[in-house]
Parts: sequence; structure tokens; C-alpha cells
Amino acid sequence: MSLMDRMPGWGIVRGVAFGVAQMLRPKVTVQYPEEQYPIAPRHRGRLLLLYDEFGTLKCETCFQCAAACPVECIDMGGVDTKSRFHVHWGPAEQYAERREESALRRSGRPVADRTFDAWQGIDLAPLEIILDEEERSPRRLLRILERTQESYGNLPVAAIQHISHATGAWYSEIYGIATSYPHLRFEPPTAHEIAICRCPTCMVLGSGRVAAALQAALATEIGGISPDGRVRLSTADCGGASRDGPLVIADGHPQPVMTVARATELATHLRTVHLPAERQV
Amino acid sequence: MDILATEQGSPSILLARAGDAATEPSMARAEAAGAWRAWRTAVDSMDPDQIIGLVSEAGLRGRGGAGFPTGSKWRACADQPGRERFVVANGFEADPGAQLDRTLMERDPHAVVEGVALAAYAVGAHQAYICLRPSATVAVRRLRETIRAAEEQGLLGTAVLDSGFDLHVEVREISGSFVVGEETVLLRALENRRAQPDQRPPYPTESGLWGKPTVVNNVETLAAVPWLMAQGAQAFQAVGAEGMAGTTLIQVTGAVARPGIAEVPMGSSVGSILGLAGVAGTAKAVLVGGPSGGLLPPSEFDLPMTPERLARSGAIWGSGSLVVVDERTCLVDLSALMTRYLNDEACGKTIPCRIGLRRLAEIGERMMTGHPRPTDPELLADLAADTRAAALCALESSATNPLLSGMRYFGPEFQDHIVRGVCPAGVCQPIRVAAGAAS
Repeated sequence: MSLMDRMPGWGIVRGVAFGVAQMLRPKVTVQYPEEQYPIAPRHRGRLLLLYDEFGTLKCETCFQCAAACPVECIDMGGVDTKSRFHVHWGPAEQYAERREESALRRSGRPVADRTFDAWQGIDLAPLEIILDEEERSPRRLLRILERTQESYGNLPVAAIQHISHATGAWYSEIYGIATSYPHLRFEPPTAHEIAICRCPTCMVLGSGRVAAALQAALATEIGGISPDGRVRLSTADCGGASRDGPLVIADGHPQPVMTVARATELATHLRTVHLPAERQV
Repeated sequence: MDILATEQGSPSILLARAGDAATEPSMARAEAAGAWRAWRTAVDSMDPDQIIGLVSEAGLRGRGGAGFPTGSKWRACADQPGRERFVVANGFEADPGAQLDRTLMERDPHAVVEGVALAAYAVGAHQAYICLRPSATVAVRRLRETIRAAEEQGLLGTAVLDSGFDLHVEVREISGSFVVGEETVLLRALENRRAQPDQRPPYPTESGLWGKPTVVNNVETLAAVPWLMAQGAQAFQAVGAEGMAGTTLIQVTGAVARPGIAEVPMGSSVGSILGLAGVAGTAKAVLVGGPSGGLLPPSEFDLPMTPERLARSGAIWGSGSLVVVDERTCLVDLSALMTRYLNDEACGKTIPCRIGLRRLAEIGERMMTGHPRPTDPELLADLAADTRAAALCALESSATNPLLSGMRYFGPEFQDHIVRGVCPAGVCQPIRVAAGAAS
């Protein structure tokens, strides 16, 4: 505190001087919409997440906006549409802090969170070989992902991140490819797989009701896995050859005439009974 | 699947040389039967323009669903500047209930590969891809063997038949959902990108694979080319209907005595094709065109199978399959299930597709379970019209077909579900409440 500050009235003088100085400066208010300020060509307005009539977020975490964003400013973190995995788009370092145990605790999450399992480090050596053989080319992402899945059994998030680093392709692009091909999977391999044909011929033969029964018994959608991680429900092609009932394939074995009751029995059986691999039916 | 016997004297173009399912195709036998003769003539003594002219004159149109004139497509591609072009043979066969393309590629891979080669020569492409599902293991193996044998004979590869023309044909196995059958999605899959359609124009003939001019043809279209080159445009034009020359493969399944695949002249009526498979008099409807096709009643069985006439009647050519349903099948149930399937398989790129199809499927399911809202039929028509108008790809526009054609031809059955809450076929178990009270 200087001597001047102790002088009575000095604060008023300073205030008046500041006001006068401001009055002399040029105006900055733009009288929108009469006046319009020049906008950068890459400007895309303010980003806003919309809610539907039930109050849930309309965002499906599809990453299409992130992939389209010309300035790469869209950044997302969340759980994917099927509530299976934590996904994100954005620089990895921003998220590293949130993955720490103390950060999880601070955010009120239990520390051992299954959605974060996929983030755990993996052995990148097999992936490195694949990347070298595919020349780290962003034009071969589908091939790289297929080979990664062959090698690891699924697509660990850490592997996708590493592919993004190695090829220079955006995480959102790789995630988009991985989610748009049904044969690419994030979940670890399951012990069993039930596949059902959804062609019109099979639908006429009751594939809709059998599929509904399987979905109910496995508590998952077509393309998903049962919550216990034991059975995957996927699709098969009968090519129109079904005659007596919809084609259902369990662990590679086409099943005899399938009804709703038998489908439920099959699904429950595969979820509960442990059989050695060679005795599975 | 069995090949159905056609009427005496019915022309055979696509399956003329087809062996039975177990016979492995061999180069020597195929050449003795006339394969690769058109290719030798073309490379020796024809220029690409002549081939395009011949295909245009023959009136060959695409068998992939839209029926676009093949000659015009090739011309559009050949006229593009630049040296690099591609030919892509679409054998993906998205419909899980059809195996027409797979059967053709298994039974006569030589015709398919020769057709691909002729298309590539005509447009000046040095690289061609044949795309199919990995589940078609026999077709993949036979096509690869055929290409290898052709390369050994100098029919394909670097400097084919000692001319200056290079041509490499590659078989690509592509996994994917129903939407991958669409041409721009197939090209995206070949490019290792996300399986979503692109806006057209620009058509693939201008900007296709890797942005280069690309011809995408169904394998069935290409397999007809060697025959028409060998026999002449007149002979090809003599088969089939006005404006739709040649023959096509149609698969008949469902409530028939002999399910199978038949080679019929283009423009054959739906009823005559069903006759080949032995339809008993109990057919209630036939689903034309696969999961996104339309349900036609017996009164429409005189309809000739051409893309335009089918579209006017609310069906599509689609995968070229006919599924016959009898009295035991509920059409509300079937069309709701198909709409749900298409919603599941859609890529979700555009909003009318992503949200419109979901709402359509929900309307169908409400009718099925017997608690529709009174406004549902109107909403269905309105939403379907908007979805079609805004469609980016063929899946999106045709996904409205099952419910629309069902409402159009089988109104009383839908009304029974909506108003009375009963299912005449006894398939659905609708809740018996009046529509007004239910919403």
C-alpha cells in the first residue's frame, strides 16, 4: 500500500479516471443482426447436446460429429450405445487423469469399474507386427482391425488407441469402422455362440418369436452378449434353405426344428451348464 | 439350393454351362464348352468402344435391382478422364435368404470372371475386384482357382494374351450387414472405411473406389456379357421382354413344393415363376425382393418381373427372391419383423433412416401387439413417404415397402389387428382392446 492510497479521495480520482479512459476507447458492442462481425470460415457455431421428449440425451455416441469436425474440437467421453464400454474421442492425455484411481474415487465411481477394463494396458507386440505388415496405412484399417481381432480375440480399446497413434487415423474413424461391421467385436470372446437367421423365409417360419425368446433368455440384443459374458447372440444366413423352422446355429451346430420353448431351453442351457468343449451340442 | 427345371425351349444364358453343385469347375472343360472365347476375340480384334456398343445394342440392364442400362454405365466410366479405373463385381448378396449370386459363382465361375474381364477391357480398367461374403466359401475357392487357372493360361495378369493390356482380378471377402450390398457402401468397405453410403451424384462411374471412375455391376449382369458377345446382340435381345433383354435368376422359397432357383426370361410374370416351383393354390401372398421387398397378393401374380412394374406395385427387384406365404402366416407380423430387421441393419447415417425406420418398426409392432394408436395408419403413410423422399440409399427407400405394401393389399388383415384386436392367422396375440381406448 503506497502513500497515495492512504490519501482521502484518491480512490474516487482513480475511479473517475478509469471511467473517462473507458469512454474514450472505441466501442466493441456489435449491433447484431444489423451489424455482423466477420466469422472464420471454419466456424461451426456453438455445440449443444439435445435432449428428447423423455429427457434423455439424444446423443448416441456415434462419433459422426467428431469425425466430421474440421477443427477436431469435438471431444466426447461416455458409455457406448449398448452401455458396454467406456469410449472416448479426443487427445489421450486429457483422459489419462480421469482414469486414475483417485480421480475415479473423487468422481464417486467405484474403483474397479468394468467399463474401464478395456483401458487396461495390453501387450502391444502382436499388434506391432500386424501394423508393420500392413505398412501402418490408414487405408487398410479394416484389415488391421480384422487381424487385431484374430490375434487378441477382440478389439481392446488400448489396441484401437495404438492403431490410431500408429496410422494417424482419428480414433473416431477407427471406432466408426469397428462399430459398423458386425464381425468386429469389443467384448472378449464368449464360451458359446447362438446364431439365428433373420431372412424372410425364416421369419415366416417363426424366426421373430424364436429371436425374441433367445433375446429374453440371454438378456441381450442380437449382436450382443449375455450379461454373464458366456453367450453371444449373432446372426446366421440360411440362404432361403430353411423348410421346417428358422435356422439356429449353436456353437457351429445347426439345430433341429426350433421352437420358442426349445430356444429358451437352449439359451438357458448354454448360460448355466459347463460342458467340455468336445461335448457341446 | 436346387436349380429348377424350366419349360421346354426356355433359353438358358447364365446357367447354360453350369455343372451340378458338387462338380469342381475346370479350365479345360469350361473352354471346351465355349468359355473365354469371347475374351480372346475381344482382346485380339475388338476395341473397347465396340464392346460397349454391343452391350448397349443388346439392351443388357443391371440385375442388381435398379435395372440401369449396363452399356450406359460402362460408357459413362470409359468417358471419364484419367488413367486409373476399377471394375467391381458385386456378389455380396446382402439378403440372408438368397443365394442366387453365390450359386452362379459356384456353378459357373468362368462366366463371372470372363464377364469381369470384358467389363474391365471395355472401360479400360487394369484392376477388378469380385466381392462376396466370406460365408460363401465354395464360391470364394472356385473363383480363386478360376482366376489362377486363367492367369496360368495368360488370359489374365500382366499383358493378357500377349497384348499390351494388363488385368488383375482379385476376390475380396467382405463381411458386413445388409446395407453393404448397396454399391457406394460396398466401395467404402473395399476402401476399408466405415460402411455407410455416399450421396449420388457423383456416381461411382465418376468417383468410385479411391475417388477413381468405377463400374459396379452385379455378378449376374457380368456373367451374361460373354454369352451376348459370343452369340451376338440380336440373339440376346430376342430373349426376354421389351426393354429388358436376357434372362435372370429368381429364387423361390417358402410355402412351395420345390424351392429352388430358376433361370427365366426377363419380364416373366410372378405367377409363371411360382408355377415352376409348384405353388399349391393356397398362396396368400408373395414377398418379392427380399427383406426390403413388397408383399403382393394373388391378384398381382400376372405382374411381369421388371424393376419398373414391380416398383409401381410397391415391391422391388431387390435380391431377386420370391418368398411364398400361405394362410398360416400373419402379414402384419411378417412386415413388422422385416421393418425391425431393416432398422437393425441400417447404418444410421441419415436421420430419416435412423429415426424414421425405428418409428416405422414401432408402429408395426404396435399393430402386431394390438395396441395401436388411432393415428398410426396415417402416421405410417406420412412417415414412409418422408423417409422415401429423403432417402440416401436404396435400403432407406425400400425399407418402407413391407409395411406400405401390406397396408395397401392386405388392409382388412391390418384392420383386424388395429380395430378388432384379433389376428386372423392366429400368429400374433394382440391385446383385445379397441384402438381408440388403447393409446
